Amino acid sequence: MTARRLPLETSAGRAPLLEVSGLVMRYETDAGEVSAVENVSFSLGRGEAMGLVGESGCGKTSVALSLLRLAPDNARYQSGSVLWEGVDLLGLSHQQMRQHRWAEISMVFQGAMNAWNPVYRVGDQIREAMYQHFDPPLKPREMDQRVERLFELVGLDPTLQTRYPHELSGGMRQRAVIAMALSCEPKLIIADEPTTALDVIVQAQILEELKEIQEDLGLSVLYISHDMAVIAQVTDTIGVMYAGKLVEFGSTRDVFHRPRHPYSYLLLSSIPSVTGPRRRPVSLEGTPPNLLAPPSGCRFHPRCPWATEQCRKDEPPMMEIGPSQWAACWNSDQVPEMGEQLP
Amino acid sequence: MIRYVTRRLIQMVFLFLVFLTVTWFLLYILPGDSVALKYAGNPNIPPQAREVAMERLGLDKPVLIQFRDYMFNFFQGDLGVSFNQYPRPVVDIIGERLPRTLVLFLTALVTYYWAGFVAGKYLAWRRGNRGEMAVTIGGVGLYSMFLPFFAFMLIWFFSVQLGWLPISKFLDPEQWRDAPFAANQVFMRLFWVALIAAFAMFAANFAGHRSHSRALERILRVGGGALVIAGFLYYWFGTESGQSMRPYAGDIAFHMILPVLTLTLIAFAGVMLLTRSSMLETLREDFILTARAKGLPEGVIRDRHAARTALLPVVTSLVLAVATVIDGGVITEAVFSWPGMGEILISSVLNEDIPVAVGAFAFIGVLALIGHFVVDVLYGFLDPRIRVTEHG
Repeated sequence: MTARRLPLETSAGRAPLLEVSGLVMRYETDAGEVSAVENVSFSLGRGEAMGLVGESGCGKTSVALSLLRLAPDNARYQSGSVLWEGVDLLGLSHQQMRQHRWAEISMVFQGAMNAWNPVYRVGDQIREAMYQHFDPPLKPREMDQRVERLFELVGLDPTLQTRYPHELSGGMRQRAVIAMALSCEPKLIIADEPTTALDVIVQAQILEELKEIQEDLGLSVLYISHDMAVIAQVTDTIGVMYAGKLVEFGSTRDVFHRPRHPYSYLLLSSIPSVTGPRRRPVSLEGTPPNLLAPPSGCRFHPRCPWATEQCRKDEPPMMEIGPSQWAACWNSDQVPEMGEQLP
Repeated sequence: MIRYVTRRLIQMVFLFLVFLTVTWFLLYILPGDSVALKYAGNPNIPPQAREVAMERLGLDKPVLIQFRDYMFNFFQGDLGVSFNQYPRPVVDIIGERLPRTLVLFLTALVTYYWAGFVAGKYLAWRRGNRGEMAVTIGGVGLYSMFLPFFAFMLIWFFSVQLGWLPISKFLDPEQWRDAPFAANQVFMRLFWVALIAAFAMFAANFAGHRSHSRALERILRVGGGALVIAGFLYYWFGTESGQSMRPYAGDIAFHMILPVLTLTLIAFAGVMLLTRSSMLETLREDFILTARAKGLPEGVIRDRHAARTALLPVVTSLVLAVATVIDGGVITEAVFSWPGMGEILISSVLNEDIPVAVGAFAFIGVLALIGHFVVDVLYGFLDPRIRVTEHG
């Protein structure tokens, strides 16, 4: 069986805004090459929300940073492309890339606390981005109005824009980060662990608001999280990453309710469900592999209860499982239904 | 803010009183008979003459009375008279020496702080290349250099071998023989020009930082530089009662090159290394990534985000630098025979010229206190997180 490329037409049936194909990125370190992103492909349509989940160190942030070409200096792109409206971002000059950042793709960073420079007012840091990207430049009055509107949009009192970051609460800061991400009217927002540092109630509020804004403005959002349950409510599609590889991709519904890759299954089953049927949490044995020397064959095989000889030798390609679900597993039919006991 | 400043000022007065008291008593208990030493360095002067002298200087009174009198006079602006240059008032001696020291310190402080900060900034930004390694290692070398040795090496090289610069002293007496000004008139003028120039440059840089447009920032920076140059030109062509000060100021500036260079090179390395490490830390912060993601030009990220935030610990070190420059200055002045406060401090203590010594210490104490105060206020200005609120 050969690897099938993901279709250009996504589940929502719109032309893709972003198409990542066969992306391979390694970090050069003193100890050797770290295979951080290995042959990752996915596409994202206009107005669509996608989630990327996986354990820490699985390469999801590396993928996100690649979209803005913000990966550290020791990152090397070996092959693949990141097509943004048909243009390969990996081939742009620094200057072109700079104009592309924030104006086309902006980012909501994890840990909003540190996303702000402590010595400048919040409003000024938002203005700074707008000074950079509006041509012709906005007049000071227009800019003020814009910041006010943005603050209202994310549910903040516009007078807070004259505050310094340390004078705002965690939730306020995160909202202001979202306002900043929206400031230059991007088409895509990358939300990297947007709610990790917040308490559960604020977390839910912010996700809900982000979803509303996304729908109102017709934005695309790429959510990145280690917690599938959190982003399942707000995404259309989900990609599951393990050790630098995309192991499962599909509509959120399918992946969440009927995962077809053992890793997705174990990841979901390891968290006890509060609202769903009672089941015993399953533990995910072992630790993620050392990416300096990734395992042969399927990278998940050392931890996989269904691993066979084939898994140790051959790397499984992305295979179509259903109308809107793909998984990179030789034995995807063996993965039980959610809630069933392990064999 | 006003309340904070007032409180700090009151604290400073108390601190100064304690400092003055301790200094006074420490110098009082210095062993040796200062009066005998003073009068022709002769321990065998007739006892009557000695008693007369003691009485006239007030040294026959009990310690506490002497101390009370001293403090009482001090705050009326009378610091007593020198034993060594009797009956010259101490205030007069200090008034003569202080401008020379201030000009030297201020020039050195501004030069090395600015140079160290800029160098450290670029080192951190270009981390990892060969040039950066070489400069960092050179910086560590300079930082650990023994100051007098370094000063002598510079004198040997620039003055003895090359003959470009004067070996010591602060002016060339030949040239000043018929000078229409006292040296200190020139020094005071130099001092004000240096102070205003330093302030103008700081203000221009700061205003540039606040502006959003790169062009405006450049204009302000260049404007600040132009202002400084204009100040110097004004000074250069300036006249005092119809006479040009130019040749005399030039002579003093010429003599200042080596001592300032010595102080700058030694102290600059410390600032550079501190800025470098502070900046490297800042560059790892998330807000730098945010700034990059916003598509800001590299220069803006470096100057406005990284360097501006990395400046904070460097400003803190300015407090310590005030002390370094004072004690480094004492040695530098001694090495270069620069007749400033440091030089008089050493000679008065060695010769037990107690009133001059106490007076000199008092002024250096005041300088250090002012330095601390300026840095405290500056820090609150630069870092909004510790800015003092009215109700705080």
